Amino acid sequence: MLVFAISDKGGTGRSVTGTNIVYRHALQGNDVCYLDYDFGSPTAGAIFSVSGVARGTRQNGLHEYLRGECPQPRRVDVWAESDREGLRTRPPGAGRLVLLPGSEGGGELSALTDEIIGRCVQLFGRLEEEFDLCMIDVSAGRSFTAELVLAATVRMPAVPFRWLVFHRWTRQHIIAAAGLVTGADGLLDVGTRFGHDADDLRDRIRYVRTAVLEPDSAELVGLRDEQRAWLSACDSELRELAGRHSVGRTAMLGKIPLDPVLQWREQLITDEDVLASKIANAETAAAFDELAKKIVDDNAWEGL
Amino acid sequence: MLVMGEVHTGLLQNSGEISESTCRQVLGITAGETVRVSRRPIVHALSPERLTGVDCTLPAASRSRVRGVGTVVSRCAVTGGRVAQGSSYVRVVRSEADRRLPWSHYLARPGVVEVLGKAKAADLAEGFTGDPTPGSPDGACLNLGAVSGRFLDLVQASPLLDRRAPFKIPRTSLRWVAETGEPSIRFTLHTEQERTLRLTHPGPFTPAVVDLCEDLATHDWLLTSLLVIVERARIGTTPGAAAVARLAPAIDHLLHLWMPAARVEEWLTPFWDSLERRPGFTRQWRSLVDRVRDQVAVNTLALLSASAETGRR
Repeated sequence: MLVFAISDKGGTGRSVTGTNIVYRHALQGNDVCYLDYDFGSPTAGAIFSVSGVARGTRQNGLHEYLRGECPQPRRVDVWAESDREGLRTRPPGAGRLVLLPGSEGGGELSALTDEIIGRCVQLFGRLEEEFDLCMIDVSAGRSFTAELVLAATVRMPAVPFRWLVFHRWTRQHIIAAAGLVTGADGLLDVGTRFGHDADDLRDRIRYVRTAVLEPDSAELVGLRDEQRAWLSACDSELRELAGRHSVGRTAMLGKIPLDPVLQWREQLITDEDVLASKIANAETAAAFDELAKKIVDDNAWEGL
Repeated sequence: MLVMGEVHTGLLQNSGEISESTCRQVLGITAGETVRVSRRPIVHALSPERLTGVDCTLPAASRSRVRGVGTVVSRCAVTGGRVAQGSSYVRVVRSEADRRLPWSHYLARPGVVEVLGKAKAADLAEGFTGDPTPGSPDGACLNLGAVSGRFLDLVQASPLLDRRAPFKIPRTSLRWVAETGEPSIRFTLHTEQERTLRLTHPGPFTPAVVDLCEDLATHDWLLTSLLVIVERARIGTTPGAAAVARLAPAIDHLLHLWMPAARVEEWLTPFWDSLERRPGFTRQWRSLVDRVRDQVAVNTLALLSASAETGRR
């Protein structure tokens, strides 16, 4: 299964949520890999705490591979190469967790050629042979990278794939996320141009809300009644807005609560962070865990 | 001088095994040339051979620049309708000229790479089977693995396959070097997926040596994959039924494929025999197969006694 992670704007928490989902999926016993296709700023290495590739790799990064400068992209075994103690040993029963870092200073793709699409197809085909889940972090917004993976998936009709669109729970983000999917030059528009079926493609797209502040959450206990009432009114307004833009509950795969740890540092939330040092909230870890299950659960992906 | 090759082996990306006729179509990579199929003791289909022209440096342990020009022979194979391979090799010989000759010269010698200038066989053999020097950009170095990988991709991307493989499993690569001399064989496991083989055989090189390497690669992949599946089942720490469910794909798709030395010519079988003594491929395979079957038996007993219990009530 290929899962493409995209967001309407930068700073939505796409990478940090994507990596956490992949991490949880590995803990659930699956072999997973994470491809850093965010060529403008390949920082997935930092989230996995692999300092050698914190800003991408100097050699054999994905960018070089796609340009045909190396035969195979570099693979980083997170369980072996992470600097974080809690990540350095593979927990019993966990699957493989592999990162394919981008190239340091690679820059966005500037054009889409047939050779690049061919190499992308070859890479996806090989990874799909050995990993239960391959998450591809496509950069924010409309980009050649998004076009590349849309073009590549058309050429491999038997390989299952899904899209996750990450957005924050605000007016601007809801409208932008809807635009990214259904707007002009959005995913559906470009996808059909490359040969995807619009309805089929729409069924493969789900939204994930990030940094959500629930009106009834524990964080809001200290608020004044007026503030709480205002937040609640905002929330229902947003829900109504989301519904109008087809970004509502039915098209949503999950939501990640606002967590201070994720606000201040992009990192994987381990069980140790929740149980031992208690810096992260249990709800956040549970949300990642549930998303990691839902991502492969066909019931959550039935046609809308 | 020497022969070097690399075999990539993987699970055919199809839900079930494919029939002999499908094998023929999947492996028909060159129009007009036939796919060779042998049926006993296991169905084995071999594609026609294809050439790739190369003019590049050869891997040398001393890191001296050795230029080779010629062609690489590649082919694909499917064993038991289930295991797919891409395999390439070159015979490295000294060139009689000191410059590159017209391509017609090299095309008349398929699978031969001629070395321009000085080179030692031992240096090349070490360079090819040794660990790659870290940090060296060898984009221009002969990469038989890339060629073999591409041929395996060719099989896996066939539209006749449904790409719904019963389990996910990595490919393995076997890099081999064969020389003439006093018989010896050395099989080495490197990382999880990489293996090397150094073979010294009596008499001149024949393609039968390639068959031996491919046969070894098939069985090493089977063993590696079964080990992975047994490890994933977490016998002892997960409930019996769950463990057996995870072992089931191995029973359905792998256990019947073990057929060591089936396609190896008589004069090369002593090499297989020596690997059977140490490290003992079949010994390890047998013990794993027994383990899988014992798990199934124990689980069946548990189910039977559970149902007898409910019947008594």
